[in-house]
Amino acid sequence: MKKKLFALFLIVALMLCMVPAAFAADDEITLDVIICQYGPNTNDWFLGTGMDGSNFVDKFEAANPGIKLNLDVVSWNDVYTEVDTRVANDNAPDILNIDVFANYATEGLLMPVKDYCPDDLFEDFFPNFIEQSNIDGTIWAVPDLASMRALWYNADILEEVGVEPPTTWSELEDACQAILDYYDGEIYPWGIDMTTDEGQAAFAYYTFNNGGGFIDENGDWAVNSEENAEAIDFALGLVEDGFTNPNPATQTRYDLQDMLAAGKLAMMIGPNNMPTYVSDKGGEINLGYVSIPCADGKTASGVGVMDRVMAFKDDSAPDQEARNAAIAAFLKFFYDPENYVGWVSMEGFLPAVNSSVAALIESDASFEGWLNMLDTFHTYPSSKAEWDQCKQGVIAAEQNALTGADIQAELDALQAELVG
Amino acid sequence: MRFPEVKQQNRKMLILFLAGLILTLILMSLPLYSFDVGVFTKKSANTFVGDEKYQTVREEVEGVAEEYRAQGFDVEIQENVLERVNSKGKTTSLITFTVNQRYSKNLFSFLGKGFPSSTVLAAILGLMALALILEAAGLAGTDDLLPRYLDKRTARLRSAAVAALILALLLVPVFILMNNVIFFRKLSLYSAGLITEGKEAFYAKLDNFFFDGQMGENAEEVFSGLKINTSPMLWLMAATLFIALAAAISLRHGEIKSSLLRGALYVFVVIVCLITLYPYYVMTITAFRSNAETLDMYFLHMAPTKWLWSNLTDIVQRGVPRYLLNSLFVAGGATALAMLCGIPAAYAMARMNFVGKKAFLGFVIMSQMFSPVVLLIGISQLMNTLHLNNTLWGLMLINAAFNQAFAIWLLRGTFVSISSEMEQAALIDGCGTVGALMKVLLPMAAPGIVTALIFVFINAWNEYTIATILISTAQNRPITVGITQFSSFNMIEWQYMFAASLLATIPVVILFMSIEKHLTAGLTSGGVKG
Amino acid sequence: MNTGLNRTRWEPYVWLLPSLLLISIFVVFPILIVFKLSFSEISKAGVIGGFVGFDNYVEAVHLPAFKTVMLNTLWWVLSVVLLSTLLGFIIAMVLNQKFRGRKIARSILVFPWATSLVIQASVWNYIIKYEYGNLNNVLLNLGIIQQAINWRSSYQIEFVWECWVGIFVTVPFVTFCVLSGLQSIDDSLYEAAIVDGAGFWDKLRHVTLPMVRPSLTVSTVLNIIYVFNSFPIVYTMTKGAPAHKTDTMITYLYMLSFYERKKGPATALSVIGFLILCLCAGIYMVSVMRKEEQL
Repeated sequence: MKKKLFALFLIVALMLCMVPAAFAADDEITLDVIICQYGPNTNDWFLGTGMDGSNFVDKFEAANPGIKLNLDVVSWNDVYTEVDTRVANDNAPDILNIDVFANYATEGLLMPVKDYCPDDLFEDFFPNFIEQSNIDGTIWAVPDLASMRALWYNADILEEVGVEPPTTWSELEDACQAILDYYDGEIYPWGIDMTTDEGQAAFAYYTFNNGGGFIDENGDWAVNSEENAEAIDFALGLVEDGFTNPNPATQTRYDLQDMLAAGKLAMMIGPNNMPTYVSDKGGEINLGYVSIPCADGKTASGVGVMDRVMAFKDDSAPDQEARNAAIAAFLKFFYDPENYVGWVSMEGFLPAVNSSVAALIESDASFEGWLNMLDTFHTYPSSKAEWDQCKQGVIAAEQNALTGADIQAELDALQAELVG
Repeated sequence: MRFPEVKQQNRKMLILFLAGLILTLILMSLPLYSFDVGVFTKKSANTFVGDEKYQTVREEVEGVAEEYRAQGFDVEIQENVLERVNSKGKTTSLITFTVNQRYSKNLFSFLGKGFPSSTVLAAILGLMALALILEAAGLAGTDDLLPRYLDKRTARLRSAAVAALILALLLVPVFILMNNVIFFRKLSLYSAGLITEGKEAFYAKLDNFFFDGQMGENAEEVFSGLKINTSPMLWLMAATLFIALAAAISLRHGEIKSSLLRGALYVFVVIVCLITLYPYYVMTITAFRSNAETLDMYFLHMAPTKWLWSNLTDIVQRGVPRYLLNSLFVAGGATALAMLCGIPAAYAMARMNFVGKKAFLGFVIMSQMFSPVVLLIGISQLMNTLHLNNTLWGLMLINAAFNQAFAIWLLRGTFVSISSEMEQAALIDGCGTVGALMKVLLPMAAPGIVTALIFVFINAWNEYTIATILISTAQNRPITVGITQFSSFNMIEWQYMFAASLLATIPVVILFMSIEKHLTAGLTSGGVKG
Repeated sequence: MNTGLNRTRWEPYVWLLPSLLLISIFVVFPILIVFKLSFSEISKAGVIGGFVGFDNYVEAVHLPAFKTVMLNTLWWVLSVVLLSTLLGFIIAMVLNQKFRGRKIARSILVFPWATSLVIQASVWNYIIKYEYGNLNNVLLNLGIIQQAINWRSSYQIEFVWECWVGIFVTVPFVTFCVLSGLQSIDDSLYEAAIVDGAGFWDKLRHVTLPMVRPSLTVSTVLNIIYVFNSFPIVYTMTKGAPAHKTDTMITYLYMLSFYERKKGPATALSVIGFLILCLCAGIYMVSVMRKEEQL
């Protein structure tokens, strides 16, 4: 009797699970969308009540009958796991918002952008952004937003100590020394983050501004150049001198931003939405920003970060054209200034399309300065297939160097691994 | 009944008791505290001992010292050199000069100065006096009786004396720590301008303590360099009080060793409980803080300045109730399913002989060997095939399956420990096997079943890794995954994270506490006979 | 232990069936997939390719961090299991005494057991922050320390903290297992021992330990499995930084799979871990069988 009951239960349970699948109507297209969680309000904007009492999914479905969105907002901690697992199971999302794309593209999982993106929208993207997703002449993803990094400083502290915001490395060292002496170590002069989350950014801040970088002018890997080792040595020197936060391998940029907001840290390199962050954290400090300092005698280089939206192939979809049209509808709706401006300004990032620039500047004049800085935009070589490996490699090299290893040897080994 | 040798022994103890108290008083009158009042401080960066800048600053400082000496203060100059060699091999140096006046204070000078520690000290003295009176009252005329023959009133008086002494003893470290807080932390917070509330009253008290209120408006500057030196002798005071306490205990109970062991047991239990509760205290206070206060970089508050109940409504708006319901559904369903499958299997393992019994046991245990983390791809593939992706049902089935091993192990042990005679009687009465199981065995095995039930429930409630992969829409998230939205890429909102954690923890803790007394019974039958 | 009543030969298997089905479908099937994957080529994005023999295993063993991670895992399992068994044993001995407030103490002690590891690890992560952590806050405000202490000044110390959190969440389970063992001891055994003139240590060695040993064996073996497979503590607190020096095997293969995208070696590593655990299971089985022969 018991076993029969159980069998019955199992069958009922299984059938109940099938119900949603069975109900899906034939003429409807459902798009699986994964969006990364940029901030505390992302989830609310897409799924809750963050869009004037409504949300993105509801509005989209109302405007596009026949298309349903199965949209999930995933935290950055879990998004790679989720996407990779789904890819391994042949269950990739239709639309994905993430930072990397090269592996998906070279393994033939993505659709070229021209297959689904309407021409007028394609023309609308900033050309130097769209180029970042170019592999051998094919564009595989479109940019969704960008952020520029700059040196943020607590103006009150700098004024109290009597130093100017540094623009070169030697000025930086002098300023750090002055702040350290003045506050006797109570306030950290400089923030460095070499964590597993974003250690590659530290690599970019210092190497780009010492004439180095991840790749050389031909676009080949060059992580072990002399300039790079020198730059990282400089950064490690700052840690050694006691100028920085004490645990750079585990204190993330958000820890640093928290310290800046609380007045515990004097200077750090951070993204353009820093003022929003600081005020969200209840910080009452006077912020200022200058471009990232460069090595003496070298040219300064801006560092930016850009994320992307891409569409996966789905050979099992019954009507490919209808699917492409649905993806196009999603993109058009998303990049419509009416929606996009609200989103970009909510997250505090920089836009990727021309059509929203005017409206953004109108809503917040500070965008203008940042948009002008986009000319110096340098970013990671994320269109190279080995980028993931390179990223984890430089992070490991930095962290090993923090515990005493020789940085040049570490970078040499990484270079050999990337090229070989 | 009279015991002359008892009288003699009690007299010894009484002397010891008085000696302890008197020693304590003597210690209190010694200058155990010394303070360096830095009447003037000068920091000079990039200065090396002996160089030109050093000479100039030194002269300036000496000038100041002279001025103070002219006013009759006995000051001395202290010099603190902080040298660092940076990575370029360049040496930097920061020299701090302080002009100090040293004051020694005994404990009695703290009395009546209006500090919190003054009150504590008064309480210690009061308790000592109280203990002395109670002990004297309790001794009157009965000092030749064995403790167990004491009449009720006397016994109570002596107990009260012991209690008063224990309290006094506990207050000694409180006094020491409180002084550290007042003369070091609070002072440095005030002088750095990090807190302002009650500043004037605070400095007035300090002024009164050191200078009988002479400093007036200069107090703030004078006390900015105050340094407190605590003599380790202070802890001797605790030791002398302890002698008195031991004597009092002996007068009350006769047997000092077992009383002290008992005391040690309580101390141990209290420490273990405090450590266990500590993270929950942190969770609670952080959950009600404001965003800015979660980053309390100057360690100003041990509790929220304002208890923000709105944090709770905020997380309710951000979907937490829905997540809790999902978790409840998944954990409840998984528990039911695990029991439905586990009880028959455990019954078969306990009551029947069959080929492959050991193989099945091995199979069950093997199923525990893989962490869900490494099975992610396999599980997700399976769920795709079964069309259970992104459903609570899928999560429920997985949780039930992963908890089978523990449920079967525990239930089997329970069943084995229960004699099968009653069931046999039921079987002979005409109940089927199922009937015998339901009517006879299950009620008898209740503790084991409850334990297994709670186990599975808690494991399912707390499961995180599989849920992150399996669930891909917000409305299906269980609470463990729901919490991660508060530590997004952009910002960790500690207060929301811990508020949600609190809501996720409370139901389980209550559940666990309510079955705590069955827990050991369940584990006894399940584990020992396992 | 047959009840002696007539049962058909297949009846026991019917009773086992639901459980067998549940485990086979939802646990064993994914395990088989992992075995298969460990011999397959897996691309960086996760696309599964053809059979490659032992390539993944060879690559896994030659990873630069392999040795560090294996040593870490050994330390992690040894320290957490041994120390929490010792502590749990002591606490259980104390809680087995009769004293006022025992019930409350026992209820409090189950707290860490009932809390999700993710939450527990996050709280401790917050507690030991140098700049605003609660440990510094409490110690400073109580006057116990005079200056904030950097509780995670090196990776070795961070690893010790991770072990501490592991111990913190494991102790209650051990305590209650041992308590259940202690309660099954008849007082007459102790009385007999006292008559024989046994002191505290003699009683512990000759009465308590033998009677508690079955519970201890069970809790230890289960703990070895749980601790070895524990993921959220290390992942939440350090993510293995710096450069895998605080990773254990489980977190390392997760990082390998999803951060470094070396999915082949990662699955191979998980099979290696499985084999190691099987060894422990063998020991457990042997102990169970021996006991059963005694009964």
